[in-house]
Amino acid sequence: MEQDAQLVQQCLQGDGSAWEELVRRHTRRIYNICYRFTGNGAEAEDLSQDVFLRVYKTLGSYRSVYGGFATWMTSVTRNLLIDHYRRTKRDRVTDSLDDAMPVVENKASSARRPDELALLGELSSQIQVALTKLSPELREAVILRDLQQLEYGEIQRTLSVPEGTVKSRINRGRIELARILQQMGVGPS
Amino acid sequence: MSSLPNWTHEETEARLTDYLEGLLQPEEQRAFDAHISSCAQCGALLGSVSHLLTDLHSLDEIEPPPRLIYAILDKTLGPRETVTGWRAAFGWLRTLANPRVGYGFASVVATFLIVVSSSTFSWRKPRLADLKPATIYRHADQQVHLVYARGAKFVSDLRVVYEIQSRLSQDDQQIPAQDRSRRQPAPKGDPGSSDGTNPSSPKQQNRANGIERNLQMLAADLPLFVERRMR
Repeated sequence: MEQDAQLVQQCLQGDGSAWEELVRRHTRRIYNICYRFTGNGAEAEDLSQDVFLRVYKTLGSYRSVYGGFATWMTSVTRNLLIDHYRRTKRDRVTDSLDDAMPVVENKASSARRPDELALLGELSSQIQVALTKLSPELREAVILRDLQQLEYGEIQRTLSVPEGTVKSRINRGRIELARILQQMGVGPS
Repeated sequence: MSSLPNWTHEETEARLTDYLEGLLQPEEQRAFDAHISSCAQCGALLGSVSHLLTDLHSLDEIEPPPRLIYAILDKTLGPRETVTGWRAAFGWLRTLANPRVGYGFASVVATFLIVVSSSTFSWRKPRLADLKPATIYRHADQQVHLVYARGAKFVSDLRVVYEIQSRLSQDDQQIPAQDRSRRQPAPKGDPGSSDGTNPSSPKQQNRANGIERNLQMLAADLPLFVERRMR
């Protein structure tokens, strides 16, 4: 956290290497949020670039007293994702399981058997498809809480809504996601 | 014992996350458990959501494409200059501008000069044979021995000089004391001439002769030093 704030200060003083370090530290997290929200690799890539471009342009407006740099960045990401969702609402077509793109997971962190990996890959695709069927408000709440493991306070600051609303959205998002997966035939055996 | 409140499906659903995260009060917890145990629909929903959370938490992060970081940097800091032709071929020379590389290069050159200078390599008439490692080693070995021998001789000379100085100062202190105590008459004859008797023992005489020889050698080796002493 403190290191982020220090890097931001260096960026504001024109240090290009500090900005590069910030990009390297946060690219994976931002890309994951974008991918889980859109369910599309190319869109997630474009949106990640837009996020960093906006952060770069508005870096001077960041104040550490409002929360950590990561929270501020997540908030920028969320706003761009909502903008993107509204912009592409008309063009959007309903996804189906057959169209779901295979997801390349980061397997370096875990040593699982091939059958487990195949199962997890399929499960990841199914959850991804189910996520894109949620409304954007519920989707972002579930992504931030259950995939990004953020605390309620951080989600509250990111979404700029009361804590009660955050809890309610997370709860409804989980229930709806479980029902969608059940309809898709994915659930507890 | 108070009776448990009867929760509806909606009330139970609304508190599902609080239940799973252990945020319910004891009273609420009992009411929730009571409803779940009697409602198959809510019980199944609880099982599904609980299973979903396990699945969500087991998902690994997705690896972003490696080009993404460079694309972001290009978009924010501007495209990086692509160098072609001769500039690209000799672009690595820019790394030599680094002070660390400069210091390293200077130390290597200094070491080379010291090693070559210690051999008999002549800068005016350079020969390739003089730069052979075996030749350099042999000459360096000779130089080292020569320097060692000269150093040992110099130390020995210094010891002789120091001994002479200490003897002279000792004599200077002894002679007035003897004059005062004995009050003997002045010796006959010319100053500096011997009276034929041997005042010292043979051992002392040999040592004096040795010092005299060393002085002669020192005078030959260190004329400047002797001149300064004479002055």
